Amino acid sequence: MSDAPLPIETRELSKTYRLGFFMNRKVRALQGVSLSVRPGEVYGLLGPNGAGKSTTIKILMNLVQASSGEARLFGQPSQDCAARQEVGFLPENPAPYEYLSGAEFVRLAGSLGGLFGRELDRRVAETLGEVGMEHAASLPIRRYSKGMIQRIGLAQAIVTRPKLLILDEPTSGLDPVGRRQMRDLVSAERARGTTVLFCTHIIPDVEALCDRVAVLVSGKLVKEGSVRDLVTSQVPLVELVIEGLGLSQVRALGEPLQFEQEIGQRVTVRTDDAAGQRLLRAVLSAGGRVAQLSPARFSLEDLFMETVAGAKQKVGGEIN
Amino acid sequence: MIRVFASLAWNGFREARRNRVSVVIAAFTLALVGASAVMADVTVYTMRRVVTDFGLGAMAILLSVMAIFLSSGLLTREIERRTIFLMVSRPVSRGLFLVSRLAGNMLTLGAMLLVMSAVFFLQLIVFGISPSAPQLIAAGVLWFELLVLTSFGFLMSSFSGQVTSSVVTVGMFFAGHLANDMYELSARSKSEVVRAAGKAVYYLLPNLERLNYRGAAAYEVTPPLGEVFQSALYSVGYSTVLVALAILLFNRRDFR
Repeated sequence: MSDAPLPIETRELSKTYRLGFFMNRKVRALQGVSLSVRPGEVYGLLGPNGAGKSTTIKILMNLVQASSGEARLFGQPSQDCAARQEVGFLPENPAPYEYLSGAEFVRLAGSLGGLFGRELDRRVAETLGEVGMEHAASLPIRRYSKGMIQRIGLAQAIVTRPKLLILDEPTSGLDPVGRRQMRDLVSAERARGTTVLFCTHIIPDVEALCDRVAVLVSGKLVKEGSVRDLVTSQVPLVELVIEGLGLSQVRALGEPLQFEQEIGQRVTVRTDDAAGQRLLRAVLSAGGRVAQLSPARFSLEDLFMETVAGAKQKVGGEIN
Repeated sequence: MIRVFASLAWNGFREARRNRVSVVIAAFTLALVGASAVMADVTVYTMRRVVTDFGLGAMAILLSVMAIFLSSGLLTREIERRTIFLMVSRPVSRGLFLVSRLAGNMLTLGAMLLVMSAVFFLQLIVFGISPSAPQLIAAGVLWFELLVLTSFGFLMSSFSGQVTSSVVTVGMFFAGHLANDMYELSARSKSEVVRAAGKAVYYLLPNLERLNYRGAAAYEVTPPLGEVFQSALYSVGYSTVLVALAILLFNRRDFR
């Protein structure tokens, strides 16, 4: 194993915001979050609103100071300027200076990242081409659409060719075409070997892009692992689609049901394998018909919903 | 670091230019041209004094308003519009960001002062008055007065909202010009507490009258260069303390 420092490492990271005129109201946004992101992987930070995803990212980017614990980028404390030298960041709803053109803004970002002269010119032109913004490069940003701002936001993040890319809700508010383009751009970065930390509550994006995910709920890390491992770690279920019996009649058969749904004349239920076999026989004995029996596909969304429900998420974090 | 500083400062200048600060210069030019017509009619022997007084006074008021407007809302605007997220997350310290933005403001004010001074001296020449050293000194030292105002605006902006910041900076502008009077007034008091408070306020507030050579310019009095240099040094020193405090507060801020 390589001794190279991890792109991202947090240990027991906590953040409590103090609110109100007398700063006497406390909102606990993060509670002892420890995570590590390995080089070259796309890591998804998943969680409902108020789970602490953005707070984690803001601590990493030195926008917010941790109350306790530590956050490191490439082995250096995230508060150090040098730690952010190899990092590109796209915040949620990026707000570039509207009085600049797209090219001027990417140029400014490049110069703050240490690029100058011809190298800067070359990288700006290259990056604008990569995000498909060369046609609007000289337009003022105030005339850009949401999708164009998002693409310029990504351009400013990748212009210095960072080794680590931190993206906070990069697809939020985009139409399906924009979302697809943003996903393709992230995939291209992954192919280039860039480590990506990807924060979102849009589960299909995580499934499509991430190697590993962490689920945050109420400021706590409640699950972490590869998408495949997390999904297959669940108890296998079978799904039965029943006709000729109502949901109350199916319930009365006495088998434990994990999921139940009644639409028109059809009842869909999920249960474990052994109970499924018993239920099949019971349904037929009761005069019902089993229209379909199949293994239930346990998706990341199911896992997410179950995790959130289990952790009893309070929207906006815990308030003392 | 110098290049990063230059990029950020130049961007600040570009922001002001694109937000049409040139309108202020146009307003100043119009005011001078309009006033010239009136002054030519009503003054005979004191023409030089009136033109100098009016020109330098208008310049000082307009640029002070600009300095307060540009500085007191700058950081607040960056935070409210969330543009700061894309700047502070770069490998740039918050201190460097703040100092560079201040430099951008001072570059803008300096450029405006230059153009306004050029218009003012042109007007003098049109009236057949030759520009003098006291007028040049008054215009030059005005930049140092603007530096103190801008630094104070930045300090306020580093921890408070735009309205609070602007109101307090305007208050400081007047108090700074009245610092001498407040000190003398309190010195006449019989109460020891009032005298001590007057002294404390005098030493705490920036003495903006020390940077006001407009009266001397109107009466053609050339101040000793040593004194002018000391005043400029005082302004830089006072501003350094204000900016250091601003950095201290800005470093502790969370951008949610």
